[in-house]
Amino acid sequence: MAIILGLVTVVYYLIFLNEYHSLLHIFAEYISFIALLSSLFVASGGIFIKVDKKATPYMNVLFLLFGAVISNVIGTTGASMLLIRPYIKMNQNRIKAYHVIFFIFIVSNIGGALTPIGDPPLFIGFLRGVPFFWVLENVWFIWIPMIMLILGVFFLFDKFNDKGNDTPVQNGYTGKVEFKGFRNLGYLAVIIFSVFLDPGVFSWVPDWSPLPFGIREVIMFAVVYLSYKQADPEILRSNEFDFEPIKEVAYLFIGIFLTMVPALQLIAEEARVNRDLLNAGTFYWATGGLSSFLDNTPTYLNFLSAAMGKYTLDVNVKAHVLDFVSQDIIYLRAISVAAVFFGSMTYIGNGPNFMVKSICERAGIEMPSFFTYMIKYSIPILIPLFLIIYFLFFH
Amino acid sequence: MATLNEILKSKPKGLFYKNRLILPFQGIFLKVIVDDDIIMDFSPASKHVYITENEDYTDIYFKEYKHLKDAVSKYEAIKMVLVEKGKDIFNFDNHKKIVIYLAEKHQVKIEETEEDILFIE
Repeated sequence: MAIILGLVTVVYYLIFLNEYHSLLHIFAEYISFIALLSSLFVASGGIFIKVDKKATPYMNVLFLLFGAVISNVIGTTGASMLLIRPYIKMNQNRIKAYHVIFFIFIVSNIGGALTPIGDPPLFIGFLRGVPFFWVLENVWFIWIPMIMLILGVFFLFDKFNDKGNDTPVQNGYTGKVEFKGFRNLGYLAVIIFSVFLDPGVFSWVPDWSPLPFGIREVIMFAVVYLSYKQADPEILRSNEFDFEPIKEVAYLFIGIFLTMVPALQLIAEEARVNRDLLNAGTFYWATGGLSSFLDNTPTYLNFLSAAMGKYTLDVNVKAHVLDFVSQDIIYLRAISVAAVFFGSMTYIGNGPNFMVKSICERAGIEMPSFFTYMIKYSIPILIPLFLIIYFLFFH
Repeated sequence: MATLNEILKSKPKGLFYKNRLILPFQGIFLKVIVDDDIIMDFSPASKHVYITENEDYTDIYFKEYKHLKDAVSKYEAIKMVLVEKGKDIFNFDNHKKIVIYLAEKHQVKIEETEEDILFIE
């Protein structure tokens, strides 16, 4: 279905508008997106982490905090894929859907707001000229209260769920932490290094345009092949490794990427026309609202373009981006925070959300449907927290 | 007839033909996971499975799949929670968690769940 809807957009642009540049551009972004996600997915699938300890609310909070921090180093996708299985294992005797949903909120999304490696929109900003440490320097004081608030809500949920949970475990807990698959850690390092291999970052990196991929994507797809071929079959079996979750993401997101082309063009045009009416709050809610349902990377880029338009600066010129960053911080801060935070609003808000859901279902955990996720969890829990962030920082 | 425990200890093999799974034992099924489908309706009206019991084996037809190989890959397993007939279904100690791997020549390998396999009842 996603592919059919995407094809409708392609046909409309090619035949009725005779315009292919937007499609080529979005296709190149899709290739980068899927190369990063698939390489992190396969490389982390060859790593086995086992935390044989009984989970308590305190321990879960610490685990999720660790996940939030580490997602800035190996990306939200890498952190999600590495940590979801040990997290389920730790909680196997008491796991509920909310455990997984808070994992999606914290590790798969909000945690990764501090570095360009954390989440793809921040990386696109880095490629366009936003300094690497700009996000850390300008977002940490929003990240900390947000993470603390959401961990606080999780703690209450988990503490309530923990009451009366004295079920003895069949074999007890050894307290050991086991790690297998060191080679794949090396592959993760290769992926993180290759993220920077962009002609926009290093002049010596070849620019293969108009091809919709570059050396970075080639390396990432090579990692997919090599890390799978060389992985220990026992680890793959323990992780029940399967390409299906990444295939689902690939099919779903090709539809999302293609169908959002006209939506984002419309927004960009409206933003240009009404640029004098736009303020930090508008950028925060508009970027967030769209990042919840579309991919957050092009959403980030379009609103960055609109914000720069207020100063008659061009997002395609690196010097202009640097100029913008030095002139006005609050718009970029609002766009960066919203693009990352709001990705947790739906299963399709960010790539790893769907993969985490799929892994959990394969483990036997019943996950809420798309709308139940929103109605029961993301709207009542996240929207009040996002409102607090709005009133504190962007009102 | 051997008990479910005895059968599982002997590392039994079953069979599969397209969407039909043949298991060399009988039991009361509580939960079956194939791909990301969690099946808990085993009534005759179930839209997911159709189960028939024979003297010493059980047939399970997975209605939503044309071929089990399309849904279960090399490193994946079909997972089941079941209770031996005649045993107390309300006692969790009697709940057996098993994993089923598709092998060559229509055979399936049946094992009790390893500790490392994630399987939440």
